[in-house]
Parts: sequence; structure tokens; C-alpha cells
Amino acid sequence: MATVRSLRDSLPLFWLLLAVPALVQLLGWWSGRIDTMDMLAPTGETSARLMIAAMLIGPLMALIGPRGWLRWLLARRRSFGVAAFSYAVLHTAFYAVDMGNVADMLAEALAPGIWTGWAALVLFLPLAATSNNAAMRSLRAGWKTVQRMVYPAALLTLLHWAWVHNNYTAALAHLAPLALVWLILVMRRLLQNFPSPQPSSGV
Amino acid sequence: MRIITFAVLAAAGIAAISATPAAATGAIKCQAGPQSGWKTKEALTAMLVKEGWTVRKAKVDGGCYEVYGTTPQGERVEAYFHPVSLDKLYVARRGEVLFRKAGY
Repeated sequence: MATVRSLRDSLPLFWLLLAVPALVQLLGWWSGRIDTMDMLAPTGETSARLMIAAMLIGPLMALIGPRGWLRWLLARRRSFGVAAFSYAVLHTAFYAVDMGNVADMLAEALAPGIWTGWAALVLFLPLAATSNNAAMRSLRAGWKTVQRMVYPAALLTLLHWAWVHNNYTAALAHLAPLALVWLILVMRRLLQNFPSPQPSSGV
Repeated sequence: MRIITFAVLAAAGIAAISATPAAATGAIKCQAGPQSGWKTKEALTAMLVKEGWTVRKAKVDGGCYEVYGTTPQGERVEAYFHPVSLDKLYVARRGEVLFRKAGY
């Protein structure tokens, strides 16, 4: 039982789990089964999914309270975030390899589907750089402000996804769980702020 | 033991999702009849190369030929061609539509 618990709580094992998609994708590419251009979608999608997962944990906790599995996930939220960033870097690296030269990358940098991706990556940099205890301590209250940059970064990521394919379906499907939880939280708060009128005392 | 089973299943699930090839984008549909009446992918590629394109990949999508490549103007695009006439139907650069033939 102790072994099971230590496996469940092992952070390196969790990181290994988060690295499984990258390992599968990289092996496919290395073996020649996946073209460089076909590495863009899976790496980008994995990044976006991990980002959404990281963003879901807090609101879910607010919605249904601190369940054991949510606490377990919350303790690993940073890992989700850092993994999302790592996949975004991998995604960008494969984009660069696929394009082959800087001139071609610059030529399409202002296309709607591309600048949004670059902007999201830039916003993710300070998020990733401050995803450690030392930054948390030294930035104090400012740390939260930096981490809130995940919202514009997520918006840009989803726009990048939708615009690069000229198709909103996949991006919206990934936004849906987050939007649903937010909506329920907002509705609940509104209902709390505007209590239903009390029945008159019948005077 | 349950946790290990769960971890293995989760890893397998993640691996399966990540190994699934990207679905057809299906930006354009062609009603071009049976493939026996189509021109070959090689004929399309040869025509495009002659026009100055670089073709990186050509495949069938939505009953059309879908080509990933670089236009003579140097734009990295996804383009659709009619498999019988080899007419250019649609050209998009990273999702930004540069050309769309009337009716498609």
C-alpha cells in the first residue's frame, strides 16, 4: 500500500506521464512515420489541452469543493502549466524546422493564425519563468498578477488554433469545459447576490 | 494496484490520443465521380512544379486533391485542386484564405 501511495505521489512519475505524448510523437517523427509538418498539430494540441487542464483545476475546486482528487491535481497544477509550455516550445521548434528558414517565418508572421501563436508563446514565457518557489517568494502578491497572464495567453492560443485551421470547432470544444465551469460559478454568484424576494409577512 | 492500473491506462489513453493522425481538414468538398476518372496525384504535382510551386505533400481530402506546399510567390499554403480538371479551388496560408474559386 505504501508503495502504491509513493507511486501516486511521485512527482517524477507524474512528469513522465506528462511526457508520454511527446515521447510517442518524437518516436513517430524519429522513425520517419510522422512528417515534420505533421508534428505541429499534435504538439500544439497537447500544449493547449494541458493548459486547459491547469486552468480547470482552480474553478473546479471553487465549484465542487476540495475533493481528494482535486487536491491531488491542484498540487500538480504547476506541472501541468510547465508541461503545457514545454509542448508549446516543442511545437514552435517543429514549426521552425518545418519552415526551414527565418525569412519564410517572418514572411507569414503577420498572418492571423501565426501572430496569435507567437503572442501566446511570448505571454507564456514569464508564466513559465516564474513557475518556481523562488519566484513565488520574491514576487509575493505580484506573482498572482503574472500568473493571471494565462487568460490572455489562453485566448491567443485558442484563436491561433481556430485561425490557423480557419475552423473554430476544435478550439471551441476545448474551451467548452472551462466556459461551462465559469458560467456555473458566475450564475451561482449572481444568485447569491440577488436572493429571491422574501414572501411578505402578510400585514 | 488500482493506482498502477489507472496510471497505465491513463498513459495508454494519452499515447493513443497523441498517436492519432490529424483528421482531414475538409475545407473544400469535390463531387468528382469515381477515382478511375481522376487525373493522378503525380500529374497534379508535375503541373504545380512546372508553375513554380514546391509540393511537400499531396493527398486526397474531401474528394479533392489537397496539397501542402509553397506557391511561386513563396507563401507556405494548403491548397485544394479538382481531381478531374486539376483546377485550383482553394488556397489558404495558415488558415487565411488567399483564393477560393466561385462556387466552392
